[in-house]
Parts: sequence; structure tokens; C-alpha cells
Amino acid sequence: MFAFMIVPLLLLFVFTYLPFGKMFSFSFYNMKYVGARKFVGLKNYIKVFQRDDCFGALKLSLYYMLGSVVQLSLALYLATILSFKVKGGNIFKGFMFFPFLINGIAIGFIFKFFYTRGFVFDTVLQWCGFQLDNLPYWLRDQRINNFSLVGTSVWRYFGQNMVLFIGAIMSVDAELYEAAMLDGANRFQQFKYIIMPSIKTIITLNVILSITGSLSAFEPPYVITDGANGTGTYFVVMHQIAHTQQKVGLASAMAIVLLLIIFIATILQKLFFKYVFRSAEDEDPRAAIRRERAVARSIKKLEKKSAVGGK
Amino acid sequence: MNKKKVLALVTATTMAASLIGCGSGSDTAATNADSTEKTETESSTEEAASETETSEEASDEAAGDAESTETAQAGELSYTSLSLDDNKDLTASIKFLHHKTDREEDGTIANMIAEFNKDFPGITVTTEAVTDYADDALLRLSTGDWGDIMFIPAVDKTDLATYFMPLDTFDNLSKELNFVDNWEFGGNCYGIPYMANAQGMLYNKKVFEDAGITELPKTPDDFIAALEAIKDKTDAIPLYTNYAAGWTMGAWDAYVGCVSNGDNTYANQKLVHTKEPFADPGDGTGAYNVYKILYDACAKGLIEDDYTTTDWEGCKGMLNRGEIGTMVLGSWAYAQMQEAGDTPENVGYMPFPITVNGKQYVNAGGDYNYCINVNSSDENKLASLIFVKWMVEKSNWCYNEGGYTVVKGGKNPEMYSAFDGCEVLSDQAALSGEETYLNDMNSESELSINAGGNDKVQRIVEAGATGSESFDDIMADWNKKWQDAQEELGIEVLY
Repeated sequence: MFAFMIVPLLLLFVFTYLPFGKMFSFSFYNMKYVGARKFVGLKNYIKVFQRDDCFGALKLSLYYMLGSVVQLSLALYLATILSFKVKGGNIFKGFMFFPFLINGIAIGFIFKFFYTRGFVFDTVLQWCGFQLDNLPYWLRDQRINNFSLVGTSVWRYFGQNMVLFIGAIMSVDAELYEAAMLDGANRFQQFKYIIMPSIKTIITLNVILSITGSLSAFEPPYVITDGANGTGTYFVVMHQIAHTQQKVGLASAMAIVLLLIIFIATILQKLFFKYVFRSAEDEDPRAAIRRERAVARSIKKLEKKSAVGGK
Repeated sequence: MNKKKVLALVTATTMAASLIGCGSGSDTAATNADSTEKTETESSTEEAASETETSEEASDEAAGDAESTETAQAGELSYTSLSLDDNKDLTASIKFLHHKTDREEDGTIANMIAEFNKDFPGITVTTEAVTDYADDALLRLSTGDWGDIMFIPAVDKTDLATYFMPLDTFDNLSKELNFVDNWEFGGNCYGIPYMANAQGMLYNKKVFEDAGITELPKTPDDFIAALEAIKDKTDAIPLYTNYAAGWTMGAWDAYVGCVSNGDNTYANQKLVHTKEPFADPGDGTGAYNVYKILYDACAKGLIEDDYTTTDWEGCKGMLNRGEIGTMVLGSWAYAQMQEAGDTPENVGYMPFPITVNGKQYVNAGGDYNYCINVNSSDENKLASLIFVKWMVEKSNWCYNEGGYTVVKGGKNPEMYSAFDGCEVLSDQAALSGEETYLNDMNSESELSINAGGNDKVQRIVEAGATGSESFDDIMADWNKKWQDAQEELGIEVLY
């Protein structure tokens, strides 16, 4: 048993735990990549909390979290529609999943030109009747440039989320829909009472992945704007500190702090979902009772009507 | 059961063995493995030393190291005593790591090596071009597995002897070559620039003519007036910032020092001891006014419309065609601008528009420096030195790139004709014992002057264009960062 485990364990150790351990020890030194190191204890960690650019950059994650809410609801909506019988459903699925297959750097370059003044995006909007003078500068205007960047990340990842959701929805027993339809449930009610509870695990997983992903957003700001003009996320700042300023110790400390933040965020989300979905389950029997009453009422009405009609 | 166990163990050992194989190069595996070990032990002893001792003592020790290497190699290999004619039949295989990706792609480097092989058929040179050189070269250097020749990245001078072979003594080398003091440490030179740059500014001659500018601007006020004339009278973008590419913004740092104050000891010696390097001297000089030109141009709308989507490759043709008036870049960019379009005769190069006491100064200095791996085999060291000497003296690369001549008395390209009447200065090296101060200060203050501090210059563009910060606030902030770093590092304030 151990003999078979040794290869993956060795790889895991060499490429994950060893570098991580090294990084953890770096975070206690004042050091560059080359040259002498000096042990400074917790000073790097204190600096991370004192500098306004480190935690200021975390505020940008709010944009990405907002984006991930949009992304997940869009994905869930499309997944629900596409999991019922839709004409050309597979083609749509393919088109929407495609962006996820493109390399992140390539996407960055695509969108760099997409957002350039008078290029693709502006041209398309002009076809729709907008005047170029009324359009904002998508990357220059600091009020909207982060939304532009978040847009690229939503465009890239919603297809992947959608496919995961579709996969989960497929596993729901089709008889449940039939039974629900017999009970008079419409599509939305089917979604709320059958699909949502059945795929809650995958929803939780996607939400956790998106939130931690938005905390560590890197590619769009790094490639498209180089983190300039108020778009430098925590990762971009960390990259700059490590590679331009050569403060490897400080950057390692930033990485450890981010790791802790992500741990905390994940645990909080776990607790949150546990609470939310438990109450959703609790609601189920009561909803069933309500439905039965409603059905009974409508039968009574029908009886009355037929009675009236009979006269 | 037993067989399975054995099989698994065999697989595991093969995997482990292949992992070990990853560390060393292909052709000279044995020597490389040796050299990596060597570097590791050396750096670890240094680590241990510096942890307990103060940095001064550590640098002393490193200096001692340098001396011992010098004695070990004196008489064997040195640039000036090496004769290119004596070693025509040498056989070796060397690797050259460099940053000129564009020259790798267009075949310039391959052509030069082919030319080199006519004289030295036995020396095989393989090259590797690295795109993000400043960062990646440092990482490669720390692994020890990078080849025989590279361009020196931003290492501390005290570490030079750990990684590189001394090419010659400073006294010998400076008699034959210009700009060799950049990587001089303990009397030895560890690097020789492949070309030198004289820092000025690119402009389009036709745009200037159309705008009615007959005389090149010499002061910041004249320059802004010229930009306004370009905006009024032509369709060209007066000043193209190249904001989006990032590293192009760092080019502004090159004018801090003798260009803006006429003092060639400032950049490497006085700057680190200056209390307020970004304060306004009030006479249109100094670092303050260098960056003020950029801020004013942005505030007055004299730059491109959407600076966040500038395109570095595209701007070359735009300058050539006359769609851009001026661009702030080193002289290395001149050749590229000329090649990018049909009107190379319109591309001009002029001194930076700051006049100190009635005189304009030009800063000339070496670009990236060739250096040779200290852990290479003796044979490869000799071959590498031959290659470096050939590249410097015979390849004409420096002239072809439009560089200021590295070899003393060499020919200068036509582009420097506008520099007549300006005084050409070369920055003096840091004082001995203070060699690492500027790197330390740049890193600690995070201003990274002339060391990739692009974001700080980008901040000026943002502030100028949007009005989010006043220029004096930015300069005050930089002064404060500089002072904090001086305090943190215990560097004395003298000026």
C-alpha cells in the first residue's frame, strides 16, 4: 500500500509541500532572490497589515465577488434551461464552454484590444446606435475599469460553471419532474424545490471556488492593465513586491496572510451554507402541506363551478 | 505480493532518478551538477555568515572571496591579454542567455554567430532569448543552471564573484573600453556592455517641421510649448507615453542624475544620501522637473487619448509615419523606430529638454553587460571570453543597434548628431563600500529608480490626466518614502 502511495506522495511533497515550507520560512527573512538574508521575525507580517496597498488591494476583490455572483446566477439559469429539452442545446453548451478552453493570457490580449478606444467593443456598440463620444473609456476610467476586467473573468468562467451545474442537474431523477408536474408545479417551482436542493453540494463548491478565486484574481489585471490605474489586485501587488522590488520575504508573508484569509472565508461559507440549506430542507414538508391545501382548494372551486354550471 | 512491492519500488526510484536528472543541463551534465553543488555550498555559507554578522562584515568577506578568485585566475584569462588570433582551433560548446528576443527572431544573432564561426569553427554557440529578462534572469541565476554567458541582471555587487568570472582588472579594461565601471567590484570588472546608450528623446522631424518648431526645445517650458504647437498645428499625438507597456514608463528615470543636474556623481553616489531628491530646485532642473514635464503634458491633454490601451509594437510605426511627435526612450529604441516604417529619415533623436546653467548634458552609459559563469569549465570560460571579445570588437552589433561606442575611439552612429554642443557624461560608479546602497534604497523605498519602478511613473500619468493628485503631493510622498528607507537602512543623510 505504502509502496504505491510513494510516487504521488513524493511528487506532492517535492512540488507542493517543500516549496510551501520554503516560502513559509522565507516570510521570516528580509531577503532578495540572490544575496544575503537577514532573519527579521514577524516584521514582514506586521508590514503586511500596516501597508495600505496590501489590504487596499483586497477591496478590489469585492468587484470580483460581485462578478462571481453574476457569473454563478447566469450559469445556474442557463444550466437549468439547457438541461430541459432545448433545440440546439449542445451547440449552445459548446459555445458557452469554449472561452474556458482558451489560455488566460490569450484572453487578456483579446480583451486588451477588445476594450481599446474605437476597437471591437466600441464598434459593436456603435452598431447598436451608441455614439462613440458618449461611450466611456473602458480601461482608463477608474470608475468602471474594474468592472471591465471582471467582465472578462465572468465571460471566461461562467461556461465552466454551467457545465458543472448541467452535470449535476442531469443526475436528478426525471420521475421527480413528472411527479411535480402532476402536482401542478411550474418550472420555477420545480427549480426551487427539486433542482436546487438536489445540487446544493455542487452549488456550494462553485461558490467557494469563485469566492476564493476572486480573492486571488490575477490574470485579467496583470495582462490587460499590468495592475496600473487602480486595478492592482492583491496578487498583482504581491507579484510586484516580489519581483520588481525584490522583497521576497514580504511577498511570502503576503501569500501566507492571503492563505489564512482564504481559509477563513471558506470556513465561513461552509457554515453559512450549512445553515441556509438546512432551513431549505426544513421548509420542504411545510411547502408540501401548503401545496396539498392549495390543490384541495382548487378542487373545491372546480366542484363549485361544475355545480354552478350544472344549474 | 513481493513482486509488486519490488515493481513499485523500482518505479519510485526511476521517478526519483528522473527528478534528479531535471536539475542539470543536457550536454555538460557532470560539470553542471558539480557547479550547482558548488554554488549551493557557497551561498549557504554566506547565508550563515550574514545571519550572524552585520552586512558590512559579510561584504568584506565577499570582497576577500573576489580577491582569492582573482589570484587563482590572474595570468590565465583576462580580456586585454587575450588574443583572438591565438585560439582559432579551440573546440567548445557554450550557451548564451540574453534578452534580445526581437534580434533572436529576426536572425541578427544567428547571423553574428555564423560570422563568428568563420573565425572560430570549433566553438558552438547556442542562444536562448528570455522575454521577461530582468525577472527571469535572476531566477535562473539562483538555480545556477543557465549556461556560460549571460547579461548581468540586477544583483548586488558583493555577489558578483559568487556568480561570475572576473573579466579583467578595471585599470586594464578601462584603457580599451568605455563604460566598464558598472560592474566593477574590488578592482575587477565582471561585465562589459554589449552597447551603450546616450539618453535623450525620440522625435519625428517632419512633425516638428509641420508644427513650426525650428529649434529643438532646451528647457521644460520650451518643450511643453512645442508639444502644444504640435497639438494645434498637426494631427500627431504630441507625446506618446506608452503607459500600458509599463517598462516603457521606467525610461523617464534615466534623466534623474547628470542629465537634469549636470553632476555625474549624483546618480550612483549622492542620490542615496540626499534627503529630498524630489524637491523642486526652482530653476527648471532636477528630478522634480523631469517628472513635471510628464505631469504637465498629461494635465494639458498633450498625450494619447486613451493611455491605458497603448500598444508598444504599434507605436514604432506611428512614430515613423509621423502620427506621434515625441517619445521618451533610450537611444536603443532609435533603430527599431527606423525599421518600423517607410520614412526612417524622419526619426530623430534629441537631448532631454533640461538646461543646467546654460548647458545641456547627456548621460551615456552601458546597456546590459556580458558576463561569464564562474562555475563553467576552464575550456568554456576561454571560449566564452573569446566570444565576448569578438562580440564587443568585431561583431559591429553596438553600431548596428545605434549604440554609443563601447570600444574607445569607435565610430558613433549618425543619430547622435543632435548631441553636438552637449556635454556627454558617464555616471561615476558608487563609492567603495557603498556599492549596494542604491539597490537597497530602491528596494526598500519601492521607488526602484532605473530598476523597473514603472508603477511610480504610471502614477504620474494617472494623476496628471485625472487630476486625482497634485504633482507636489506625489513628490512629497516620494521624498518621504526615500527618507523612511534611509532611516530603515541606516544610510547617512549628507545632502
